[in-house]
Amino acid sequence: MFYRRAGIRHTRYQSERQIWPLPFDRGLVIAVFLLALAAPFLLDRLYLVGYLLPWVIWSTAALGLNFLMGGAGQIHLGYGAVIAIGAYGSVHMVRAGVPFELAMIGGGLLSALVGIAFGAAALRVKGLYLAMATLAMQYIVDFVIVHFPSISGGTQATIQVPRVSFLGMPVVGDASAYYVALFVCVVVTLFMLNVKRSSLGRALAAVREKDYAAAVIGVNTFRYKLLAFWVSSFIGGVVGSVLAVCYYRAISPDQFHLELSIQLVAMVIVGGLGSVLGSFFGAALILFAPILLNQAIGLMASGMGFDISADLRAHLPLMLYGAMIIGFLLWEPLGLAKIYANMRNYFLVWPFRHARQ
Amino acid sequence: MKRRTFLSGSAAAAIASQFPIRIASAQDKVIHFSMPQDFTKVYTFVTAEYNQGQRDYLTLVNGRGGINGYQIIADVSDHGNDLPRAIEAYERAKSEGAVLIDPLSTPVARALVPRALADKVNMITAFSGRSDAADGSVFPYVLPLSPNYWTQAGLLIDFFRQKDGDLSGKKICFVHIDTPFGKEPLPILQKLAEQQGFELVAFPYTPPGNDQSAIWPQVRRARPDWVMFWGAGVGQTVALTEAIRNGLPMDRMSSSVWISESDMEVVGAEQAAGVIKVEPCASGREPKLIQDILSEVVAAGKGAGPEEKVGTSYYNYGVMLASLMVEGVRVAFEKAPDGPVSGEWLNAGLRGITDFDAEGLIPPTTVTPEDHQGGGKARIGRWDGGKFVAETDWFSANQDVVWEEIRKYSAEFKETGK
Repeated sequence: MFYRRAGIRHTRYQSERQIWPLPFDRGLVIAVFLLALAAPFLLDRLYLVGYLLPWVIWSTAALGLNFLMGGAGQIHLGYGAVIAIGAYGSVHMVRAGVPFELAMIGGGLLSALVGIAFGAAALRVKGLYLAMATLAMQYIVDFVIVHFPSISGGTQATIQVPRVSFLGMPVVGDASAYYVALFVCVVVTLFMLNVKRSSLGRALAAVREKDYAAAVIGVNTFRYKLLAFWVSSFIGGVVGSVLAVCYYRAISPDQFHLELSIQLVAMVIVGGLGSVLGSFFGAALILFAPILLNQAIGLMASGMGFDISADLRAHLPLMLYGAMIIGFLLWEPLGLAKIYANMRNYFLVWPFRHARQ
Repeated sequence: MKRRTFLSGSAAAAIASQFPIRIASAQDKVIHFSMPQDFTKVYTFVTAEYNQGQRDYLTLVNGRGGINGYQIIADVSDHGNDLPRAIEAYERAKSEGAVLIDPLSTPVARALVPRALADKVNMITAFSGRSDAADGSVFPYVLPLSPNYWTQAGLLIDFFRQKDGDLSGKKICFVHIDTPFGKEPLPILQKLAEQQGFELVAFPYTPPGNDQSAIWPQVRRARPDWVMFWGAGVGQTVALTEAIRNGLPMDRMSSSVWISESDMEVVGAEQAAGVIKVEPCASGREPKLIQDILSEVVAAGKGAGPEEKVGTSYYNYGVMLASLMVEGVRVAFEKAPDGPVSGEWLNAGLRGITDFDAEGLIPPTTVTPEDHQGGGKARIGRWDGGKFVAETDWFSANQDVVWEEIRKYSAEFKETGK
C-alpha cells in the first residue's frame, strides 16, 4: 500500500542509486518541502515562530551532531559550545560590518577551527574518555565567553544582533527569518543525504564500525575522525549564526550551556543515530514534548477541574516527559526514525506481514 | 493493534492540546497577564512562592470586583528557564492578547527584550533581566519596577556607612558567584570604593556554588569589616554555612534580595541571627495587604498554595509585583477609561504609577517614562533568628553612581542594539 514498488524498473545505475527510488517517497518529500515553503502563509504567527522556526533550526543542529555521532561514531558532549562559537563569532562579525552571508560562513569556520583543535586533542582518546574531553570543551568555551566581556558584551552579558540581510533579502520579521533557517536546513539535509553515498561517508562508516579494521583496509582513521569533527563543527557554527540572527536576536552565554549540548545528544539518540529523518523527529520530540505536555496538564488542571497543586502541575509534565523518552527507547532502541521505517516496511509489503529487509 | 491505538491516541492528544486554551472568555471584560515562569529548573528557590503571592493578590483584586469591572487573569505556565519554551510561551501569550508578561528569569528576560520592544508587550523584569532597563527612555516596554542589583549594592554600602560613620580605610569583601549576575555589582562597588575610600576585595566562587569551602577561609583571613555575599539559590545557603563555620560575625554579613526564611531554616535559624538583606518590600504577615489576603482569599479556601508560605519574603515579593501591575491597570483606566486594553494602554498606566505604597507593603513608588526602577527605594532587614526585622526606614542611596552606570549601558544598547 502507498509505497508501491510494482512496475518500477531501473534501467540505469543512476536511477537505482537515487536517494528516493520510490515515487511515493519522492512525492512525500516534495509535498513536505512545499508545505514548509508555504508555511508562513498557512500558519498562525504563533506556530511559525513558536514551533516551526525552532524545529528547523534545532533539526539542522541535530543533523550536524548526527554526522559526528551517527556517521563517524564519535560522541560529542560539547556541541552547545560549538554552536556558541559560531553564534558569537558571526554576531561579532556582523556587528563589525561583515555581510551576514560571509559572517555565517565565518562563524562556521571559526567553530570548525576551535572544534578541530579540541578534536585533535580529544581524538587521542576514545569512547567515554572522548565524552569527558568534549565535556571539557563545553566548560572551557563557556568560561572563556563569560570571562571576556569583549566577547560576552559587558556586565549585562547580552549582545543584540543588528538587522541583517541575506542574499539581498532583509531578515526582518518572521517569514524571512524562517526562510533563511529553512534554506540552511535544506542545504545541510541535502549534504547529509548525499554524504553517505560518497567515499567520505563510506570511510566514516568504516571508522564508526571499528577503527582498527578501517585502518587495516587503508582508511586513515585519525584523518577521517578529524574531518568528521571539522565538518560537524562547521555545521554547528553555521547553525549558531542562524540561531542568533533568526531566532534569539540577542545572545547571552546561558543560551549555550551544557543543557543545549545534552538536549542535542538526546535529539540524536531518540531520533536515531545516523538517520537524517530521525534528526527531525528527535528535535520535534525533545523540543515540543515538554511544551505540549505542559499545556495538556494545564488544560486538565484548569479546564477539566482536576485540582492539583502548582508544584505538581509544574513537575508532572517533566515526569511524563522522562517516561516518554524511556518508553520510546524501550519500544524502539534504534530511535524514532526506525519506528517510521517499521511502519513504512509494513505498508511496503502489505497485505503480507513480513518484509525482507 | 495496541501499539497503533497508543500511537494514534498520543497523536490525537498532541493535536488536541494544540488548540489555544480560551477560558473565561464568556465575559469579555478580562485582562490577561501572562506568567510563564521557571518552576522546575534554576529559579525553583523563588518561583513557587513568588507566583503564589501574585495569584493570591490577583484573586483578592478579582474578588473585590476587579479593576473597573475588569477581571485580571493570570496565565501561569512553566518555561523551565529554557529559551525555546519561553519564546513559545511569549508568542502564545501575545496571540491570546496578553498585555503583560512576567518571566522571572534573567536569561529569558534578556532574550525577550527585542521582542517585547518590537511587539509592545509590557515585560516585567523584577530582580532579573537587564539592570539598565531602568532607563525607560531606551527600554519603554521593559519594566523592572524594583531596585536593580546596582541599587541594592549601593543601598548596602550606604547602610554600612550609616553604621560605621565613615567607610574610609574599611575593608569590604564581596563574595560572589562567578557569572554575569554575580559580577554585575562590581563596577558600582569599585566606583563607591574610590569615592568613599574603602577597600574592596572580591572573591568569586564557581557556579552553582555548592562548594565554597576554599573561599571562606580566605575571607576570614582578609578580616573584613563587612561582607556582601551575592548569589542565588543554593549558593546563598552554602555561603552562610561556610561563613558560620569560619566564625565570621553574622551582624556584618549582608546580601541582596535573594535570601529568605527558608534559606535561614537550611542554614540554622539561630546561628544565622544578625544577617542583613535588602528588603524591597515588607516581609511577614503584618502588612495590611497580606492580612486582607489571609482573610479574604486564604480563609475562603481560594489560596493558590500552602498557607504557611503566606507572608514569606518571596511570597511578599510576588504580592508586591502583582500590586504594582494592578496599580498600573488602575492608572491606565484613569488615563484612558475606555481602553482599548492593549500593551500601549497598560504601558501608559505602568509608567504613570505615582507614590503607590500598596498600603504600606512597599516603599512609595513612582514610575516615570524615564525611571522604570520606581525610585530605587528599599530598606535593610536583619534576621533576628525568627524573622527579618526592619533596621531602617525606606531609603534610597548612591543613585547618582547607579544611574551613571544605567545610562552608560542603555546608551550602548541604544547605539548598537536594534
